[in-house]
Amino acid sequence: MSVDPMIYEAQFFGFTPQTCMLRVYIAFQDYLFEMMLVVEGVMLKKLDGIPGCKISPSKIRKCTEKFLLFLKEHFDKLFSKMEEVLLQLVLNIPKNVLLPEDRVQEQYPYSEEQFQALQDELQQLQQQCRAEAVLEQELRAELEEQKVVKAELEKILQCFDGLENICREHGAGNFKESFALLTQSSKKLQDVLKEVEEKSKKMNQHDHLM
Amino acid sequence: ADGGDEPAPAAAPGRAQVFSTVVDTFLEKLVAAGSYQRFVSCYRCFYKLQPQLTRSIYDQFISQLQASIKEEIQEVKNEGNLEGLFSLLDKIVEEAKDRQEPAWRPSGVPARDVRSALVPFLLRHRAHLRRALQERQRRSSSLAQEVLTGRDSIAELQQLIQARQQAWQ
Repeated sequence: MSVDPMIYEAQFFGFTPQTCMLRVYIAFQDYLFEMMLVVEGVMLKKLDGIPGCKISPSKIRKCTEKFLLFLKEHFDKLFSKMEEVLLQLVLNIPKNVLLPEDRVQEQYPYSEEQFQALQDELQQLQQQCRAEAVLEQELRAELEEQKVVKAELEKILQCFDGLENICREHGAGNFKESFALLTQSSKKLQDVLKEVEEKSKKMNQHDHLM
Repeated sequence: ADGGDEPAPAAAPGRAQVFSTVVDTFLEKLVAAGSYQRFVSCYRCFYKLQPQLTRSIYDQFISQLQASIKEEIQEVKNEGNLEGLFSLLDKIVEEAKDRQEPAWRPSGVPARDVRSALVPFLLRHRAHLRRALQERQRRSSSLAQEVLTGRDSIAELQQLIQARQQAWQ
């Protein structure tokens, strides 16, 4: 038999077919030898019971050896024939057969390059995911910051509102307008004052002259 | 030349059946080889003395040998769960009957063989990552939108404040 380790069969059966056959062979052989010894033993015992028997145990032993030799020869031939048939037809996985546990091998016959490409793609995806997570964190951080800034700005606006309210409560609804009015009337007052002063100056001169 | 010329390994006779047929044939031929005539010719001296006893010893020898061998075969079958494995293998072979080309076999290089076994897991992982990435991208693009509108509203607030400030100056 050619040296076929039959590893795929071993994967399926859990033992190599040859080991199985060897075990059976040895067991059969043991039985054969054992039975022959029993046969011999029965004969010797029987001969013991016959008075004046001329057949010696060694003669019987020779007979046993003769029969055993003959039988063993046939036994070996028959067994190797049986083994051949069993290994070929029974303990054999035909070349075209794939075991169910290996279906992935034909479903995904990835070459080294394809496999590497797949792994690279995975790595890239993972990096993208990580980058996206960082981006998300940054965006969330900015949103938080925006909340704080908005609150500050709104506070400032409220300050302006408060300022205007105070002005309005004290009769200066519109500060700019009232300021303009005030300037206008103070100018008028100044003009009037100047006029009055001039007039009084003239009157004084007039008094002196008089 | 006929130690077991069984019919071709078609699906018809199952492996278990072929197995017992082959073993039975072996036993038959063994018994045929170790015939009573052969036995007598070897143990001639004893046969001359006890012909009847010779016959009964031979018969017992043969039946014991057959029984022992059958027992051993049964034990091997039980130990290896051969009946179950045989019918399982029959089914697998039957399912593969339409394909002619040789199937995959272990290459002997574990690193190479493990690749295909890993691929389905990696593919599932890839699908998962792709989904996760899309999800994240969707999330961060809506966040980015939120950030942009936030920036706009802050600028608006700042302009408002500037206007008020100028009004007071």
